[in-house]
Amino acid sequence: MSAPLLWIFLPLSIGAASLLIRRERSLSMIGGVSAAMLSVLAFVIPIDEALSIGSFSFKLAGSVIILGRSLTLQPAHGSLLAILYGLAAMWFFGAQTLGLARRLVPMGLAILALLVAAIAVRPFLFASVFIEIAVLLSVPMLVAPFQKPGRGILRYVAFQTIAVPLILFAGWLLSGVETSPGDVELTAAATAILALGFAFLLAIFPLYTWIPMLTEEAHPYLVGFLLWVLPQTTALFAIGFLDRYPFLRLSADLMTLLRDAGLLMAVTAGLWAAFQRHLGRLMAYAAIAETGFLLIALGLGTSEGIQLAFMQIIPRGLGLTVWALSLSVIQARAASPRFVDVQGAARALPIASAGIALAHLSAAGLPLLAGFPIRMALLESLSRESIGLAIWLLVGLLGLMTGAVRTLAVIVLPSEKWDQRETYFQAILIGLGVLALFILGLFPQAANFLTTDLPALFQNLGQ
Amino acid sequence: MFILITILFLFAAALALAIFQVTQPNYRFGWLIAAGGSVLAWAGVLLWQAQMPITLQLPAWGATALFANAPVFVADQFAWPYALALATLGLAVIVSAAARENFPALFSWAGTMTLIGLGLLATLADNPLTLVLVWAAIDLTELTTHIFSSNETETNGRAVAGFAARLVGIGLLLWAGLESMARGAALDFQTTVPQAGIFLILAAGLRLGVLPLHLGYTSDSAVRRGFGTTLRLVSAASSLVILARIPAQGISSPLAPYLLALTSLAGLYAAWMWMRSPDALAGRPYWVIAFAALALAAALRGNPAGSVGWGVALILAGGALFLASIQNKILNRVLLFAGLWGISALPFSPSARGWESAAETSWATFIMWPALLLAQALLAAGFIRHVTRPATSTDLDPDRAWARNVYPIGIGLPLAALLLLGLFGWDGARAFGTLPASLVAGALTLALLWLTPRLRWLNPVRAHWIRPQESSASRLDAFYDFLWNLYRSFGRLTESITAALEGDGGILWALLFLVLFLSLLAPRTP
Repeated sequence: MSAPLLWIFLPLSIGAASLLIRRERSLSMIGGVSAAMLSVLAFVIPIDEALSIGSFSFKLAGSVIILGRSLTLQPAHGSLLAILYGLAAMWFFGAQTLGLARRLVPMGLAILALLVAAIAVRPFLFASVFIEIAVLLSVPMLVAPFQKPGRGILRYVAFQTIAVPLILFAGWLLSGVETSPGDVELTAAATAILALGFAFLLAIFPLYTWIPMLTEEAHPYLVGFLLWVLPQTTALFAIGFLDRYPFLRLSADLMTLLRDAGLLMAVTAGLWAAFQRHLGRLMAYAAIAETGFLLIALGLGTSEGIQLAFMQIIPRGLGLTVWALSLSVIQARAASPRFVDVQGAARALPIASAGIALAHLSAAGLPLLAGFPIRMALLESLSRESIGLAIWLLVGLLGLMTGAVRTLAVIVLPSEKWDQRETYFQAILIGLGVLALFILGLFPQAANFLTTDLPALFQNLGQ
Repeated sequence: MFILITILFLFAAALALAIFQVTQPNYRFGWLIAAGGSVLAWAGVLLWQAQMPITLQLPAWGATALFANAPVFVADQFAWPYALALATLGLAVIVSAAARENFPALFSWAGTMTLIGLGLLATLADNPLTLVLVWAAIDLTELTTHIFSSNETETNGRAVAGFAARLVGIGLLLWAGLESMARGAALDFQTTVPQAGIFLILAAGLRLGVLPLHLGYTSDSAVRRGFGTTLRLVSAASSLVILARIPAQGISSPLAPYLLALTSLAGLYAAWMWMRSPDALAGRPYWVIAFAALALAAALRGNPAGSVGWGVALILAGGALFLASIQNKILNRVLLFAGLWGISALPFSPSARGWESAAETSWATFIMWPALLLAQALLAAGFIRHVTRPATSTDLDPDRAWARNVYPIGIGLPLAALLLLGLFGWDGARAFGTLPASLVAGALTLALLWLTPRLRWLNPVRAHWIRPQESSASRLDAFYDFLWNLYRSFGRLTESITAALEGDGGILWALLFLVLFLSLLAPRTP
């Protein structure tokens, strides 16, 4: 038995098999339970280390070779797999309450498995191919059968696809740089092409236009899943490049570029969010800002920055889950997710409204909520470099906060008597998510046991 | 640990009350649980004096390199007067609730005790991180309460607007901490650099409604005497407490004189509105703003002890007045004299040090002195009027004779605490203060009392230029309209850019922006 078999091929197979199942409830249970089991196993079973239970000894191999390429999972991957599959379980359970299990579970499991493969593949350059396959698989998930794909989806696929040849070409150039490290021009060209490739892949400003467009065209829950899983994995891929090539890792210019790009994303997304009147687009801008925060953390160029990047995984995933689920519940009962159609939603859907408001406030960094500790650490780190940089980040957060307050002002308008029209299952899921947002906001160290080891995935950056 | 135990008395009692409300709505001993929890918490706060300063440090959030500070609570000589004032207020609300029409109100008492617990935590916060956490908890509680208790569009809109203003206050407090960090100081109140002091002032001013002058909530909100008083005063105390943490060397900013002038004028206006309010509850927001202005001005003059003095006067004298709802001649006299003593700034009163100043004289000083002395006089005159001529009063339910004995204790407790704080427990106790200033304010008060029956414009009316209710447009509206138009203009601009980026030529625009961005960031060569 090997780890890639368990966390890549098994979910891929379950995803494929679940295409044959038509009942929403069964699908959701299969997806949710299998993801939860994989999460627990990742947490319990050490990879590449002997596990002894009494007289029984067992070792899960970390590698498997396929077509001359290896898929390798290290012991430090355990926590990451536990987080990814644990959060995925929440998404799959939530899909049932919205009638989306048939679209989310098969493709979601496959996408997740492919993205884990992207993390595990050696040579790591092949990750871009796995990411591209995952992107292509997400299209049937986003577009309902017999529905014509919109411009947002086309742009999403186009931008993600443009990234692949750029990254592969940069990888080829980088192998040349390794053999002749003194070639400055080659190094500069490789770095520029690589940066361009990741600008497309990570949807860095101004290439993120497909994200808000997508939230208008596709179901917010499915877009939310994608916005959670894709940038996270892509960022890990990018960190892999930084870790492998010393001239990238030690380049002060590149770190400044990452930090400034992150700030630009956070500020523009915040400003755009401040004037939005569409709940879905607001979620999109928050996701863009989150990617910006990730880049800022990486741009710090320190081991603390890497640690901070990993610490964002859980609050981001949790916030997006609560947000997308709450938004979907509201959208199901409103003509559209525009402000004009969701006025007074809090009266009929109090839990979903609280969920959407609190997830939004968490993304904007309201104290007490899960997003705050990360924002605070980022602000502190930036202010040590320059108070001006910290103020730019505050501007971005202020924009997001403005969007959150406007959402709040619209949904609490008194329109009818208080009532609760969410299903019990929806209310419980959102309630648990909100509770977790508060717990992580007050005690962020509660999640440290999952994230502390993650920097060890990167031998050089994590030290 | 001592701090934790005290706070837990309140939260545990609140939890028990909430459970009983759900499981046994007519539970007979609810009031006893509330009163027991409040008494224990009050005694706990009083006992902090034996070991001060007391520290409660929560576990760190992570590596020190990432999180410079952990949440820390410290009971010291500046926090203690506020803590005692809040614990007393909580006890007074519960005790006086025995005589209220809605007795028993388990949920309301649970809410009161939770708020008092949060208020205590806010007063004890030792760094901006801790304070913003507690502020956020108080703000969310307040917002939720208003949304659930109101059916009016206007009220809900103002509740969200008030919440937004408070969020900006939170942002300013964080900015103050970052300013300290950028200058190499730790992110706590002990080592705050003078350059950060201005942000602390702005944060408190914004949350209190003084800078710029605004009312976060309407005066006739659905929550009134018991819970409403707690909400208003806890919120004020949690913001005022940072004024006591302003660096002793004062504020190092060219903005300070302007802020002092604005604060003084805001205080004068609010005190004027307080005196002319039809009743104490309608004037409650003005009472808070006027006293907050006095406290802010004291902090701007480098007088943190003075700001604490005004702060506890706000809570205790105000608390007793707003809780008093039953006609009782003797009690009214006690309320009148003890309350006036508390806000008089006379020697050995808690506000005695309120007029001291450590700052250099500037042009704003000449605005501040007359404006704030008159403001104090207006506050005192209004206090006298509202005590002697209450607009609303109720009679005690004859079936609850025990409440007749308990109720005066509820009103008397804040007054006793007011007298106690003038003599014991902190830096501002047993102070002689600035006698000429308090005498001038006293003389002005007498003059106002003499003039009130003679001049019509000194009598209660409802004319506002900061519009607390759904009345016609106010004068400040022009300013807010300007801001709103600016916001909409920016909105149109972002819509245009979004349309361009997401339209047919969006990809080309995106690539153009990308090239521009890269060329800006590329290293420049000669």
